[in-house]
Amino acid sequence: MKSNEKYAVSLAAARERLGRIANVVLIGSGKGGVGKSTVASGLAISMSRAGQRTALLDVDIHGASVPEYLDLGPPVRSGMKGLQPKMKDSLSVMSLGLFTGILPVPMRGESKQELITQLFGLTDWGCLDYLIVDLPPSMGDELLSAFSLFAGRATLVLVTTPSPASVSVVSRLRRLAETEGVRVRGVVVNMAYVLSDRKKTFPFGTFDRKLLEAKLRSAVIAEIPLEPLVSTLGIAAVLNDSNEFSRAFDRLAESITFNSP
Amino acid sequence: MHELSIAQNIVDAVLSEVQKNGKGRVTEISVDVGQLMQLDRNALAFALRLLMTGPVLKGARVHVRVRKASFSCRKCELEWGMAEAQKQLAAVPDVLRVREPDSKELPLHFLPSLYPAFIHCPRCGSSDIFSKEGEEMQLRRVVMK
Repeated sequence: MKSNEKYAVSLAAARERLGRIANVVLIGSGKGGVGKSTVASGLAISMSRAGQRTALLDVDIHGASVPEYLDLGPPVRSGMKGLQPKMKDSLSVMSLGLFTGILPVPMRGESKQELITQLFGLTDWGCLDYLIVDLPPSMGDELLSAFSLFAGRATLVLVTTPSPASVSVVSRLRRLAETEGVRVRGVVVNMAYVLSDRKKTFPFGTFDRKLLEAKLRSAVIAEIPLEPLVSTLGIAAVLNDSNEFSRAFDRLAESITFNSP
Repeated sequence: MHELSIAQNIVDAVLSEVQKNGKGRVTEISVDVGQLMQLDRNALAFALRLLMTGPVLKGARVHVRVRKASFSCRKCELEWGMAEAQKQLAAVPDVLRVREPDSKELPLHFLPSLYPAFIHCPRCGSSDIFSKEGEEMQLRRVVMK
């Protein structure tokens, strides 16, 4: 038998890696500025601290921010089994930002899927309980590539702020997930409030939980407060203490692990 | 050393195709690698022969073809090749080079599609460029008996 087709080597490598990962959780919104990377980083840290073998993959090609959030940077090392993720305590982290630093990455659509597949497939993840994937804003190439790469394996956590404009955009991603067959685990309302002197204030407005759940056809699984200390101390340091912010992420991590197959 | 992990990925891809097409013995494989990856063709072929063992793969002929890289600027339509690109790649900061046990490699060695971050038009300076070829890592042909 002869065959003359071209076979994607990176895709075969990615499938091989995926076989050693029990759960893939995509963190998406469709909208920019709602704190997807904060939620993805906080969830990944909380899960790894809870003893789950966890890795965080940042697939934002143009605006990779996970290295910045976790105070990680180039260079990356390569070993016998592939590219070595950077470690933040026991959390494994990989991002294109670790290869490009402060350089801009101007790129049109056609190369993005290949690049994401290469990055995931060449990374030596080892055996994982959870791979958390930080999706970029919009519903373009990166998001569709992640849906396709992790098809049948991934579930999606929707991130929104309480603002109606944010909820409206997120509802579009909810519809897209449905047509693409990606199960939605639930909704995280980020920047839901600010706690100061035991008083809650609501910089993005209040929300009616039942209405929001009806609009997104998913349960709210966490309300994360806006914590100004994250920008000065870093998310890992804030999560080190017992506070409203860290307890919210612990509850989110519990919700994810409790509902995993 | 990256040639060895690339070769393993290629072998996985071959085995995946064999599984899809039912039982058979592989007699020949042809691989295309883009010049942007700057792989050592002989080292890759050697690694492939080393890893192609067992009743399905042993003895298969291995062909590795390097596809020359060429670039085009969407803004001023200039076209150029790898020699010009090499001058720009030489300026990639040391901190961005991937550490292997015995060398430091460009990120493109692993992620060839990342070239727009490091290469720009040598005439107008635009980063809105594309490669016509040179970023491939493809198993072009698998012959089975």
